[in-house]
Amino acid sequence: MPLKKISQIAEEPITFTVSKIEDLMYGVSFDPSTYAGKIVTNISMIDGEHIDDVLSIFRDVMSSGLTVSPLVKLLSPGEKVGSFTIPPNMQGIATVCSITVDGVLLKHGIPIKPIFGGLVEIRNSVPLRFTDLVRYDSTTLDPLEILMSQSLTSVSDMLTSGSGKILANMREITMNAREKVEEVLDELVVAGFGGILEVGEPNSDILGVSVERDHFGVVVVGGTNAEAVAQEQGFKIEAHAMFTLMDIEEMTPITQLV
Amino acid sequence: MISSNTDPQVQRKLTEILRIIRENDTAIGARIIADKMRERGYKIGERGVRYHLRILDERGLTAREGYSGRVITGNGIKELEDGLIGHRVGFVITSIDELVYNTSLNVNTGEGSVIVNTALIDKDDFDEAIDIVGALSETPYSISPYIKILEEDSPDIKIPPGEVGIATVCSITIDGILARSGIPVNTKYGALVQVHDSTPVAFSDLILYNGTTIDPMKIYIDKGMTSVTDALKTGSGKLLANVREIPVSARDQAIEVLEQAREIDIDGVIEVGEPNTPVLRAPISAGKIGVSLYAGINSMVAVKESGIEVSIHPISSILNFKDMTRL
Repeated sequence: MPLKKISQIAEEPITFTVSKIEDLMYGVSFDPSTYAGKIVTNISMIDGEHIDDVLSIFRDVMSSGLTVSPLVKLLSPGEKVGSFTIPPNMQGIATVCSITVDGVLLKHGIPIKPIFGGLVEIRNSVPLRFTDLVRYDSTTLDPLEILMSQSLTSVSDMLTSGSGKILANMREITMNAREKVEEVLDELVVAGFGGILEVGEPNSDILGVSVERDHFGVVVVGGTNAEAVAQEQGFKIEAHAMFTLMDIEEMTPITQLV
Repeated sequence: MISSNTDPQVQRKLTEILRIIRENDTAIGARIIADKMRERGYKIGERGVRYHLRILDERGLTAREGYSGRVITGNGIKELEDGLIGHRVGFVITSIDELVYNTSLNVNTGEGSVIVNTALIDKDDFDEAIDIVGALSETPYSISPYIKILEEDSPDIKIPPGEVGIATVCSITIDGILARSGIPVNTKYGALVQVHDSTPVAFSDLILYNGTTIDPMKIYIDKGMTSVTDALKTGSGKLLANVREIPVSARDQAIEVLEQAREIDIDGVIEVGEPNTPVLRAPISAGKIGVSLYAGINSMVAVKESGIEVSIHPISSILNFKDMTRL
């Protein structure tokens, strides 16, 4: 992250994560029916010499459905993404952020409210409950980055045994939009965007968390589960979730790279 | 595992019984559990407790010990850490309330108890660590120069063999002092404050206590976002801080109480805000003012930044202030 001048920090108002998310959601223009437009991406940085190992981990995680999409973009040292430049000797990997799903729903006229990022405990391939969470309106740091820093994930275990704790997030939607939501989610699945863990019932808890009156919750896997596995396996990886908008044309399915 | 399809009422009782068993050092029977459940507002008899204990045993969360006594298993402890998320959001703060209520420090006499953080370090690192804690206690970033060294035989806190504990005054003590003076206090944010030329400039990050299941202080430390040592050496760096809200009408009294606390060497105040004004960029509710303080664990964080292995236990217990010594 580029360092800001001290005097600059004091004058800028502080931004909570929820504002950043809504900003990115608003910028999403991806249309699953035409497969064109802008999506939200995470950027991760790793030491250049580990890139092959990390990419094969990413491929395994992505093919098992623990990420939103198998699309990636490799970024070379010196390459610019938004206001950020990939440092020398480092390799950047852009992956699809789950906020893309929120953006697409929003652009179909569905009012959507991202609530929190958390950890979902999976038992025998069935999502059981959230075990930790951080609300977007309560933090200036990204919840998934927070959870990764706490060494609480066990996405690798989930891959090998079907049980473990994975990154996920929850949004609330008004209950009368439910049919439309299912329709759009189906369209997204056809376009290769998945990772929907659970669509809740109106006025009912979703994975142990309550929702606002006359709303239902939708839980989607976090976009950085692949990064979490790389980290669990000992690779030093710097993940910036919900980083920037990118044209889907720039991305390639990971299977074409490894 | 308490599965998500268990009746929520049953699930709450199961969790509460587990908590009671864990809080007890030895095996505990159904009759005592039933008494404790009633103290906590659950209407349940001895027979009801037995029924719930059988469920807990079947799920491997508790085990029998002796005649009808129960102890918690490893899985049971894990269940308490993971279960009932709705009750754990903001839990950091619920547990603070209990400590705040138990703080009895009188700012006029210096008598009574304070809330402390403890850091456990290897005995061999003690001299180096205490020098760092000492250096920080002479700066405005410190809550108090009073500490207590805890040896293995300490009656207050259990210290593992080969290690030594250093207890320092926690900033939540000030919430306790304000609450004791009759001021309603709402501990709102865990924050990271940027200092420049040894002056606090702005909060660079904020986390609301009631929007997280993870302690904000632990987040900043584990993400390596602090630079307490730099702040000590160069005057610029990032330190741990927190912000509480109090009513606008209590501002004058709060300032007076904080003055008195300073006279008995309990300070660490960054800023007492103005009405309807953010404190170092932290938004404050209408009708409230923000009071921000440096966190007491900054000295421990400085020790950690120097490369010494240290396990930090924030807001860990209560000590008599008179039993602490000035560095």
